[in-house]
Parts: sequence; C-alpha cells; structure tokens
Amino acid sequence: MTNKQIGFKFFFLFLYLFIFLFFYSGNVRAQQVSLSISPPLLELFIKPGKSIMVAYNLKNYGDPIFLNLKILPFEAKDELGNIRIKQEFEGPVRFDLDNSDLKLDQPFFLKTNDTQQILLRIRIPENITDGDFYYSLLAETIPPTASEGIGSARTKATIGSNILITISNSGDVEIKPKIALFSIQGGLPLNKEVKIFDSSDKIPIILTVANKGKNMIRPEGQINLKGNFGETAKYDIISKNILAGSERLMEATPSAQIDYDNKNTLVLSGFFIGKYNLSAQITFGENSPTIFGSTIIFYAFPFKIAGGILLALITVIFIIKKKKG
Amino acid sequence: MKYFFVLLILNSSFLIFNLNQANAVPMDSSRFKIESANVSVTGGNKSSDSYKLSDTVGQLAAGQFLSNGYVVKAGFQYLYSIIPFRFSISNTNINFGALAPNSPSTDTTNLTVHFGDVGNYQVTAIENGPLKTQSGNVISDTACNGGGYTCNESIAKVWTSTTSYGFGYNITGDDIPNDFIDTTYFRPFPDLTTGELPITIMTNNNVRKNRRSTLTFKTNVSSVQPAGSYQTIISFVATPSY
Repeated sequence: MTNKQIGFKFFFLFLYLFIFLFFYSGNVRAQQVSLSISPPLLELFIKPGKSIMVAYNLKNYGDPIFLNLKILPFEAKDELGNIRIKQEFEGPVRFDLDNSDLKLDQPFFLKTNDTQQILLRIRIPENITDGDFYYSLLAETIPPTASEGIGSARTKATIGSNILITISNSGDVEIKPKIALFSIQGGLPLNKEVKIFDSSDKIPIILTVANKGKNMIRPEGQINLKGNFGETAKYDIISKNILAGSERLMEATPSAQIDYDNKNTLVLSGFFIGKYNLSAQITFGENSPTIFGSTIIFYAFPFKIAGGILLALITVIFIIKKKKG
Repeated sequence: MKYFFVLLILNSSFLIFNLNQANAVPMDSSRFKIESANVSVTGGNKSSDSYKLSDTVGQLAAGQFLSNGYVVKAGFQYLYSIIPFRFSISNTNINFGALAPNSPSTDTTNLTVHFGDVGNYQVTAIENGPLKTQSGNVISDTACNGGGYTCNESIAKVWTSTTSYGFGYNITGDDIPNDFIDTTYFRPFPDLTTGELPITIMTNNNVRKNRRSTLTFKTNVSSVQPAGSYQTIISFVATPSY
C-alpha cells in the first residue's frame, strides 16, 4: 500500500467521523424540571375525630431531582379561581405521610420517569367547630447549586394540588349564596338597568356569585336570553366551587371563556334586533332553593347598517344634485 | 469491497451507540366517580332590587357520610376525569455569565403547564431576595428605563437603556399578563425578604394541551458595581384552581 493510499484512507475515515460527529451528537440540555401530580384537587367532607388516607401520584418527567413535600393553607385570591398560598401552616387539620420512607418537609430523591406514591393521612381532631379549611399539597424542588464566578439566578419549581376540607359533625352544610353581580358590560346605558347595542355587537355578560356561608358551594344553572319575537336561548353555567367567604366569576357555555382582563361570564354574539331580556337561575344541588339574578334588558338596533345606508343615500343625492347643477 | 465492509461496520456501530432513547407515553386515565348530592332544605329566600338570596342547610351524600364519617371526591367534577396537573421548567440554572458594565446580560427559561383540555391554573413567581454576593453587595431590582417608563412588580415598562441598572424579567407566550407588550417590557420580581407577595405570571381558565411561556431574565450593572458572584433563587409555584 502506497503512502498516497494510506493518506487517502485516513482522510476518508476522518471525513466520515467528522460528518457523523455533527449528525449523531446528542443535544446539550440545561437541567430541566418537569413534575406532574394527581389528583389535582381533593374534596373531603368529614366528621371531627375521623381520619382518612389519600394516595397521590407524583411523577418526575425531568432530570433526577431532590423534592420536598409540604402542606400550606390557602385562600381565594380573586373571583377568577386563583389562590393565595399562605406562608405558614395554620388550622386544626393534621397531615402526615403513611409512607415508611417519606416525611413531610424532608427531601427525597426522584429519578427521571419515576413515580412516587404519596400516602397522605388527613386527621381531624375531636371537638372541632364545623367549617371549611383549604390546603395545598406542595412538592418543591431543591434548587441546583450555585455557579461560582458568574451572575446567576437559580429556579425552584413547586407544583401543588388543592385539598378542600369541610368539617361537619351532623353532616349539615351551610348554603348561603348571593348573586353579587349580574350585568352587561359595554353598550350605551339608557338607564341603570337598560343598555343599547348595535345589532352586530358582541354582548359580554358578567355573573358573579358570592358565598356568604361557612362552607363551600357549587352553583349550577342557566343564563336565559329571551327576545321580543319569542326567541330564547339557554346557556348552562359550569359548576365550579366557591370557597366560603369568597366570590367567583361564573362561566357559561357555549362561550365559557373567561377573559382574564375583561372578566366575562358569557359573550353573546349574533345579529340582535329589538328588546332582549336576560335572567340567571342558579341552584346548589337537588332540592336546594333556586336563586334568580334580576332580569336585565338590552336593546339592539342596526345602527351601523342604517348609518351606512344613510351615508350612501346622502352621497348619491349629492352626486345627482351636483350632476344636475 | 473492503471500503464497503469498513463503512458497514462504522455505520452499525454509530447506529447502535447513537440510537436515541425511546420514551413510552402513558395513555392510562382514571375515571371520575361522581357522588350524587342530597341537599335538604331548611332555609329561606331573601330578596333585594338586584338579587335574591337564599340560605339553606343541606346534607351532602348523607348515607355515605353517616356510615363512613367522610365523603371524598377527587378531581374536577365538570371534567369527568382525573387529569394530572403537570408543570415544567426548561432551564433551572439561569446563567448571566461574567457581568460587564452597561452591557445587559440575559438568559431564558420556558415554563410549560399541561392540564388536559380544561381547568384553571396559575403560576406565580417570587425572588428570594435581589441578586446578591456572599459579601452583601446587591444588584437592585430594576425600575426599567425610569421616568415615565418606571416599572414595578405589577406593571411592565420598557427597559432598553443601557444606563438603567438592575435585575428583572420579561415574559412572552401563553396566558401571560397583558402589560408585557413585547420583549422590551420588563418587571422586577417581588421580593420575599421584604414581605412582598408572589405575582401571577401565567393564568388561564381554559387550558389547552400545553401552555407555554418564555421568561427572559435580564440584569445590567454600572461600572461602580463591585465584582463578585451575584446569586438569587426564583421560586415558581404552579397550582390548579379549586
């Protein structure tokens, strides 16, 4: 074999390895966290002196990580269903883990794609006054170690699952709702209760229910639309919990999209003409009393179309007059 | 022929050593059990001009409650299934490198929330103090460009000036606050050490498969900023609604 042939072989091998280095090299990844928890919500209706065990699944889809479990109370932050987690534990409910190898507030290791079953024991002491208590089971990561010599911000990820506990000695719950707000947004107000819209306008409706009782409630019902030509439409309210002493903006189908900034329950769209009545009807379970939102009225007229026709007519008359002149 | 043989061996070895890991996707789901509610009425109705108020005392699933002493429900009733709540952070170590005066340093991370098709969630953020060295030198939280462009923990403003110093973040993507108009808008993080409360940076009432946002961390220092390793911890808390 000549030197030229050997050189050619080396060159060929080098080229081959160089190409494959680019095509087959793995991606360099930053450390990532990806956790899932199930169930995301637990509702417990329990007598004082009782205790139950609930199984949660915590799965690690990200890199291997140290995690810490803790329980903190929370309260409703706003009427949109957001929560504010308190910094310190409070309340009479006692939480422990039934796992032999896990404890609350003690870090444990979870490998990639591993699932940790969390056996949460919830104990209600005797002689507790009836009422609601709201907590979050939180799994928080231990941040990575700091890099020396550079500026850096390390992130800590926490995932939570909410626990809603109603304590009742007799099994009775207090259902004390109030329609805090039922109104139409926008439009031209004719008076306090009547608004005027263009026929093609979208009509946003707000329905907020307040819970004045000491137990959480879950409203069901409809928003009804009735036109002056006998046309009717029903929009079902999506049943969601309202915590004790809080308010919640309801969602109704079919739109059922709460706009975080505009805060609507329902947006009516279509071509409206004439007078329309809107009413709300809400219940809180079988045999419970129904509460009614007062009827609100709006009128819709085709102002834009009429304006367009009028403008066209004026233009035509102007042109004709100009031609004649 | 020899070349082909060598090529074949090389190809086989690369294929064996460089095969990507195949990941199975869990496809199981647990069905939700709906407990029927039994509310017995012992209250009455009240009314005013704008609303009618009813109060009542009721019992929920009375039979089960009396026999067991408790009733448990898991998941969201209107979803009819138990959907796991999942939260991901793509980069947990935000690296600004060696900080140079009047030359902003940035790094990014992606936040992803997966919660089936429906379900309200929120992601909050708070810093465990400003960027600080072990000797106590601090990079203050940003006020953005200042003047009419002064930002705070709840209002984002433009931060483009290289002579405006501090530490802050921009967020783009799904379900973010609408004051982050574009990538030049920043806010400082609320500070846990001064008793500030976490701020909601992502929230939505109707979650699709993956809600994703990109968080850009930025810091800019002046020429009089003492040298050192400036560090802090940012806590992100993702929770479903109730």
